[in-house]
Amino acid sequence: MRTLVSTYGPEDTEKVLLAMRTVPYDRLVLLGEDGAMESEGSRTIQRLEEVSGHELVYETIPDKDFLGMVDMISEVLSSNAARSGGGSGSKVVLNISGGSKLLGDAALLAAFRLGVETIHCDSKATRLPVVRGATAKSMYTPLQTRFLECIEDRPVLGMAITRMQPTSKQGAERVLRELRKVGLVTSEVVGERIHIGLSEEGTDVLRAVKMCKRRE
Amino acid sequence: MAVVFGTLGFRPRSLIPTIKSMPDVEKLVFYCGADKSDPEAVKKVADAKRSVLEYCSSMKIAVDPVDLEDPFDFKSIAMRIRTDIRRHRREGKEIGVFNIAGGTKPTSSAALLVCILEGVPTVYIHDLTYEEIHLPLLRMEYNQVLSEEERQILGFLLKNRTKEFTEVELAKALGKHKATINHHLRNLVAKGALRLEKHPKDARKKVVRVEDSTELLLGEEH
Repeated sequence: MRTLVSTYGPEDTEKVLLAMRTVPYDRLVLLGEDGAMESEGSRTIQRLEEVSGHELVYETIPDKDFLGMVDMISEVLSSNAARSGGGSGSKVVLNISGGSKLLGDAALLAAFRLGVETIHCDSKATRLPVVRGATAKSMYTPLQTRFLECIEDRPVLGMAITRMQPTSKQGAERVLRELRKVGLVTSEVVGERIHIGLSEEGTDVLRAVKMCKRRE
Repeated sequence: MAVVFGTLGFRPRSLIPTIKSMPDVEKLVFYCGADKSDPEAVKKVADAKRSVLEYCSSMKIAVDPVDLEDPFDFKSIAMRIRTDIRRHRREGKEIGVFNIAGGTKPTSSAALLVCILEGVPTVYIHDLTYEEIHLPLLRMEYNQVLSEEERQILGFLLKNRTKEFTEVELAKALGKHKATINHHLRNLVAKGALRLEKHPKDARKKVVRVEDSTELLLGEEH
């Protein structure tokens, strides 16, 4: 099944219609704030979908905190990719031109996290360079992502290395150096012990990687 | 010393807090533009631009305002911003942060896209509290996703975008075996960078077409 997911606001009906003309789909999912789906425009889209026999689903994305929105949209994309029956996500296309700026930008970040094909429809449709199937997870090696998972609770260094077994101590230390170099890991001396943990950026990366894993 | 980038709409207050919160700002580059058929929007953007210019002048910060010809043309805005960021980097400038709060929706989204592709720290200004919100820096480094051969093929096709190539012609032009090119093309189609279309005169052949987005993906050097 091919699914078109589109951000939506009451004044963006034309943009969604352009996306509907541009992308072949069997199921339409609109993402919007509370009340956005009560507009005349959304009723028009609903009528069109009824006539064409397509399924229309509304998902409410509260316009509160940005990262929360990114997570919610990632969940919608993941569940629709799973429903479409394809692991690669090739059967879900996202249009980010509707709704508020915050909603569109959150959707774009979610698309990059999950490697979902993305378009922007305003007066014309533009395909965005989100490489299909290239996710936040694919930016890191399996050992690196495992290390990030191991240090989520800020363990002492020795504990983190033990958790990485059967990877050798040298191997785990190499991964630590790599992650520290790119700013994903921080260390802190507490008493006589060194605790390591995720930097703010590392937390975001782990969050994105977990989302990708759930999608798989 | 850092360069701050931003998008500007009607409200200077959506951009100025970023200049204040960033230490050692050397220069501000901002993108603005309004729907030319809406005189009120044009006036509001002009007023906001004037306020930002006055602020920078008072603070002795160099400023480079960029008037966007069409603030709704996503692709051209993204290309322009990416070119500017790369130019500043080539000149040895540090890109401090990109504020994407202002401007039209396509302007803001195009700026975010470039920040992801170029790994530029990005901030929003909250609509009501004017508080800065730092967005997660998710850099998608496509060197790791595209192989050297794939980049070479895409680069060649972009440079020769006015011409049509079949798989065989492409293999010949690049001096590669047909089977090798076929393998790379399949991967690039799967990644959404290319599409294969039926040859207009010979149904047995396929013409290789590069997607518009590939230009954004690879940047101006192609």
